[in-house]
Amino acid sequence: MTKRTIRPKSVELSRRQFLIRSGALGAAGIALPQLLAACGGGDSGGGNTLFFENWPAYIDPTEDGLTGTVDRFVEASGVDMTYSEAFNDNVEYFAKVQPILGRGDKIDPDLIAPTSWMAGRLINLGWVDKLPLDKVPNKSNLRDDLVKPAWDPTGEYSLPWQTGFAGIAYNLDVTGRELTSVEDLWDPEFAGKVGALTEMRDTIGVILLSMGVDISTLTSFDQAAPAFDKLEQAKADGQIRRFHGNDYFDDLSNGNFAATIGWSGDVAQIQLDNPAVRFLFPPSGATSWADTMVMPKGAVNRDAAAKWMDFVYDPAQAAQLTAWVQYVSPVKGVRGEVEKIDPELANNPLIFPDEATLSNTRSFASLSEEVEAEYDAAFSKIIGA
Amino acid sequence: MPKQDVPRVRRPELVGLAALVGAGFLLTAIGARWISGPIAILALGLVFASIVWLIVTAVMGGPEARRRIAPYGLLKPGALWLALFYLAPLMTLLRLSLSTLPSRFAVDAQFDWNFGNYLDAFTDFGAQFQRAFLYAGIATVLTILIGYPLAYVIAFRGGKYRNLMLGLVVVPFFTSYLIRTIAWRSLLNDTGQVVQLLDAIKLSGLLESLGIMDNGRILQTPAAVIGGLTYNFLPFMILPIYVSLEKVDPGLVDAAQDLYSTSTAAFRKVVLPLSMPGVFAGTLLTFIPAAGDFVNALYLGNPSTTMIGNSIQDQFLVQNNVPLASAMSFVLMAIITVLVLVYSRFFGTEDLA
Repeated sequence: MTKRTIRPKSVELSRRQFLIRSGALGAAGIALPQLLAACGGGDSGGGNTLFFENWPAYIDPTEDGLTGTVDRFVEASGVDMTYSEAFNDNVEYFAKVQPILGRGDKIDPDLIAPTSWMAGRLINLGWVDKLPLDKVPNKSNLRDDLVKPAWDPTGEYSLPWQTGFAGIAYNLDVTGRELTSVEDLWDPEFAGKVGALTEMRDTIGVILLSMGVDISTLTSFDQAAPAFDKLEQAKADGQIRRFHGNDYFDDLSNGNFAATIGWSGDVAQIQLDNPAVRFLFPPSGATSWADTMVMPKGAVNRDAAAKWMDFVYDPAQAAQLTAWVQYVSPVKGVRGEVEKIDPELANNPLIFPDEATLSNTRSFASLSEEVEAEYDAAFSKIIGA
Repeated sequence: MPKQDVPRVRRPELVGLAALVGAGFLLTAIGARWISGPIAILALGLVFASIVWLIVTAVMGGPEARRRIAPYGLLKPGALWLALFYLAPLMTLLRLSLSTLPSRFAVDAQFDWNFGNYLDAFTDFGAQFQRAFLYAGIATVLTILIGYPLAYVIAFRGGKYRNLMLGLVVVPFFTSYLIRTIAWRSLLNDTGQVVQLLDAIKLSGLLESLGIMDNGRILQTPAAVIGGLTYNFLPFMILPIYVSLEKVDPGLVDAAQDLYSTSTAAFRKVVLPLSMPGVFAGTLLTFIPAAGDFVNALYLGNPSTTMIGNSIQDQFLVQNNVPLASAMSFVLMAIITVLVLVYSRFFGTEDLA
């Protein structure tokens, strides 16, 4: 979930592009407000500007002769869009905006892209507004399994940006055999060579699913206690080498990890360099996560946000995004469009999982404040912090 | 034309002291938010006025007044800086550590003399406290064992290469602390050069039995964390020891030997005592930051080697439990203070203690 794959080549180009673009935006910023003022008000949906704060390297930039999504949108809609990559970590971002939103003040971005559970927290706290979904006809393209998700039971507050899965990532050279289930993580043969994510919902989720617990309906700590016990035991036995965020590519690729709980999209990336790295959708089920667009309380540019969401939910547009970021798109019909761009990509099961796989994924229940605190405390005790 | 020995301003040093203490207190109060709004602006005005008062007193008072007021004037910038950026945050932290969060994501903790935070800090994080001081202690001893001979050689045998050798000690620190620690991860890889070399020269069995290696790996073991701490803080030990050794007159050793001292005894009785201020300073510069460090345990350790710094960071930024994290920080500070006081009582030197 906190995974943001950074491909060196793209980063170089996208940064250069970013500088060019921000220069252009800066110039536009001088001229546009006056023009907008001239257009006159009366529009409750705010001005024709939009500020989206998203994760780094999470959108296709304008490069190699292709026009990036932001530029295509600006051209098509005439909205003066500011795109920032300052959303780098759910918890950090929360800590940053908590004193502002918590006091009822407004933050600058009109849209932010927290991971689903953080979106759920913001929804519970009442720190986000309903999305202007009535002005987003393309919302009908939302994947069926993401309609009214656990973190947003009415589906009115969030719209997924990209999604993916957590399962077992392993290095065939080290394991010496294909892994078949979550139980393989506890094989004494891999002692000290097993990892797990610091993202509590993915690590505990994958283990709970292997115990036959439905993670989408959790309401109390007791229901999840067996997974915490299992993990605690594995740590005490020295089975667990390290808990990691998105910094596990090297460990997995160079054999420090035999196996770890990891994210599907990462494996798609690592495989390009090291074909021995595999991803297992556990037969007991994988956890699914989503980074979702939400509007912080008091965001003014509702019409422009609606135009943006409608734009990126157009399969043809979403396909160009998918081809670059290589995550699972929340938009229906993207596969057909990607096929036109890159047929090989359209057949990658990590980017376009089949129906059976999709139906075997669960997203973690949205926990109440007190229960979430219990989970977090128990988990932080295990990861040793 | 004032031509007198008696200053025009009576007791200028009292003016200086009052301006210093008063402004320091007011600035602390503003920084810690004891006062806010118009009163804070008024207080800020008073701070400014105290500076003006000091200057006016000095200008008007004549040479004698200036001489007597000078220490307070010179102290003022430093004192105000400390008040705003050290005392005020410390007071805020102290207050937070005695507060309770009304709900988990509440913006403001409520101050209610909640000493329970301190109890929690001790009971829930005892293991992390112990590890922090154990690892930092071992690392400090190792830095002395490695750093002292090196500093000695540079100071007494360095000759014309002295500056070059000192430069070599410092040069790695032009690279970020974080990057150097992460670089250790590549070096100590399970399949990396270090482990392969140890395997090749059949040392891994010995290291395994000594508990330094675990199951064929060095990375993600206590040894890696202590090694990282030792490496990262080594220059802070070498440089102070070097400075104190450099001041030792080689003639003193000659004198000792003229008096029939063996060179060992000369070192033990002359050079070592004279270099103790450096060792003392190096120990403080190494042990204190090492005890609060979380980077080495984060990148080189495993879930059973976390230090108190990791726990404080987790409580602050992940668990949002600011009162508990503040209490933990205070406990850490208190323990370090006690340790340093005890240490300086027994090993401290006149120069420093």
